[in-house]
Amino acid sequence: MTARDRILAAIRAARPAPLPPAEAIAAEAAALLDAPESVRPRPVEAVLAAEFVRKASALGTSFDHLPDRAAIPLAVNRYLDTHGLPPALALQPAPALAALDWTGIDTHDAVAPDQTAALGLALWGIAETGSLVIHSGADAPILLSFLPLHHIVVLEERSLLPHLEDYAARMAGQPQPRNAILITGPSGTTDIEGSYVRGAHGPGFLHVLMIGG
Amino acid sequence: MNAPQQGFKERADAELKNAVLKIAIDRTTGNAERKRAVAVAAFPEFQAARARGRAIKDHVIAHLDHYLEMFERNATAAGATVHWASDDAEARAIITRICLEADAKLVTRAKSMLGEEIGLPHALADAGIERVETDLAEHIIQLAGERPSHIVWPAMHRTREQVAILFKEAHHPPPAADDPATMVQSARRELRARFLGADIGISGANFLVADTGATCTVTNEGNAELTTTPPRIHIVTAGIEKLVPSTAHAFALLRLLVRSATGGEMTQYTTLHCGPKRPGDADGPEEMHIVLVDNGRTRMLADEFRPMLRCIRCGACMNHCVVYRQIGGHAYGGTYPGPMGAVLTPVLDGLAQSRDLPHACTMNGRCAEVCPVEIPLPTLLRAWRTRSWRERLEPRSVRAALGLWAMAARRPGLYRLGSRIGVRALRLFGRRGWIASLPLAGGWTAYRDLPRPLGRTFMEQYRAEQARKEGRR
Ligand code: SF4
Repeated sequence: MTARDRILAAIRAARPAPLPPAEAIAAEAAALLDAPESVRPRPVEAVLAAEFVRKASALGTSFDHLPDRAAIPLAVNRYLDTHGLPPALALQPAPALAALDWTGIDTHDAVAPDQTAALGLALWGIAETGSLVIHSGADAPILLSFLPLHHIVVLEERSLLPHLEDYAARMAGQPQPRNAILITGPSGTTDIEGSYVRGAHGPGFLHVLMIGG
Repeated sequence: MNAPQQGFKERADAELKNAVLKIAIDRTTGNAERKRAVAVAAFPEFQAARARGRAIKDHVIAHLDHYLEMFERNATAAGATVHWASDDAEARAIITRICLEADAKLVTRAKSMLGEEIGLPHALADAGIERVETDLAEHIIQLAGERPSHIVWPAMHRTREQVAILFKEAHHPPPAADDPATMVQSARRELRARFLGADIGISGANFLVADTGATCTVTNEGNAELTTTPPRIHIVTAGIEKLVPSTAHAFALLRLLVRSATGGEMTQYTTLHCGPKRPGDADGPEEMHIVLVDNGRTRMLADEFRPMLRCIRCGACMNHCVVYRQIGGHAYGGTYPGPMGAVLTPVLDGLAQSRDLPHACTMNGRCAEVCPVEIPLPTLLRAWRTRSWRERLEPRSVRAALGLWAMAARRPGLYRLGSRIGVRALRLFGRRGWIASLPLAGGWTAYRDLPRPLGRTFMEQYRAEQARKEGRR
């Protein structure tokens, strides 16, 4: 008998009645997600973008609001300048970003182990928690979001979702990426005497460029 | 596994004398208690969410085989290899075999209590594989050669000064100062090269998502993603109770987990790991292995400890436990400390080894009040006490004393006589209302005082009061 057989047999032996049909189990599981508004926090702001900014700012995320994507390079330049950083940037190898005019900034698509700043795209933002969603992919290396000290993320206002369940619903039945990550504020730790320190292993700074309305 | 050498009493005694430890514990648990209260107050739906969370876990536990098979199917379809381990030894063997077959020299690990439970650190050392703990707290205790003292803050027993001594010796260059920010920077620098040079990354899982085959980790530091992305192989170790039907169910539990653990609303990094690198992906491991571990869990399914399988490892029960806050996590001697540890350690290490743990509880019920999945911890601790009595594991003196008490309790006259003598005798030991030391009860009075009794028993006072009322009528 394999460990798998032993474990499954022990589980079945502990159950008084036979396992219900799969559809019945699925119906019970679905019912556990009924009336989601009764078991999740209510937004304070009526406008999704305002709620997202409120939540994310509370965790130390900074914001810049831009009219369109063409404004991204200038906004990045401004950010680097404000923080006294060199005009160098690891760029997510996505066509939408490569198409922009990067004159004046030294961009490269490899992320160095001690990268100062990187720019990437978020697929969605979740207002309930102030989270940015990123997926791994051919043009989306995961390390781009973790190695740099300053992580700058482009988020389209129209891709904001109200709640965590709305993201789950978007992904239900879809092909899953290797990594789907909800990034909620800069990296931090309270492991030494409970004092909060930013930039534990991941980025110490998270800056969102929010595009359009 | 990890059976304590010394007894619980000796360890607890030693820790009670440790004043530095007391300060360290108070700082972290006090903070956690306050922050949790604020987070719960800010979420009026918390109680409803808690009932829902409990129902989700109960649903999974009732259909565990169904969800395990579903998870296995979907994880395999995503390209992962699923392994099953009946106990800690099987789990260690599977993981060491994967490491040796891959000729791994360096393994990075993102904090997982299950890894501790199955004795993974030792197994890797025995196999000659270098292991680097990447969670900051785990890094600290690895340098100190210790075990976690808390399931959320494993190094909470160490003060900043103690951490500085460890880092100065181990980091090159050593941290320039001993404030937390400088030391965190130093660890970031030191561990960066290790992340990128590892052959295998090992993580745990907070949830196993049945309908996608993904494993979910939550961290605040970002070390899990740096552990699981660069190496060629990613191994996940997880208890079979970690299953949830879907991502949405995981999120419902996450709302409870984060608020109960740290008082936050969301962890900084919530990651779903689904299979290895896809063809064309920019980064990620080529292989993903998931080790599903039973290690006593199916036994709990069949007995009165079944509700304990709901546990989502938030640590709230220990943050709110008066005993834990006096003695810290190491005194418990097992992988899991505090109230949840006192329930789980007898499952893992055997009751004979750990019968002291369910007894070291004041039954004040705080743990069950804050548990986000409504586990009746005091009831489960009482169940262990009952078993310990039935299996005759109680020391002879306790059995004898309780036997004597039971004999007297069945004879009211004798009982009243005994207690009349008792309360009067006790008054001889105390001044000003408190008894600071008592023969045969040093174990009690060393760290607490006993109120000096009034000199008469309850029954005597009750009768006198009744007589007084009668007289007035
Ligand atoms: S028993 Fe409850 S409170 Fe304790 S760690 Fe588990 S879930 Fe949290």
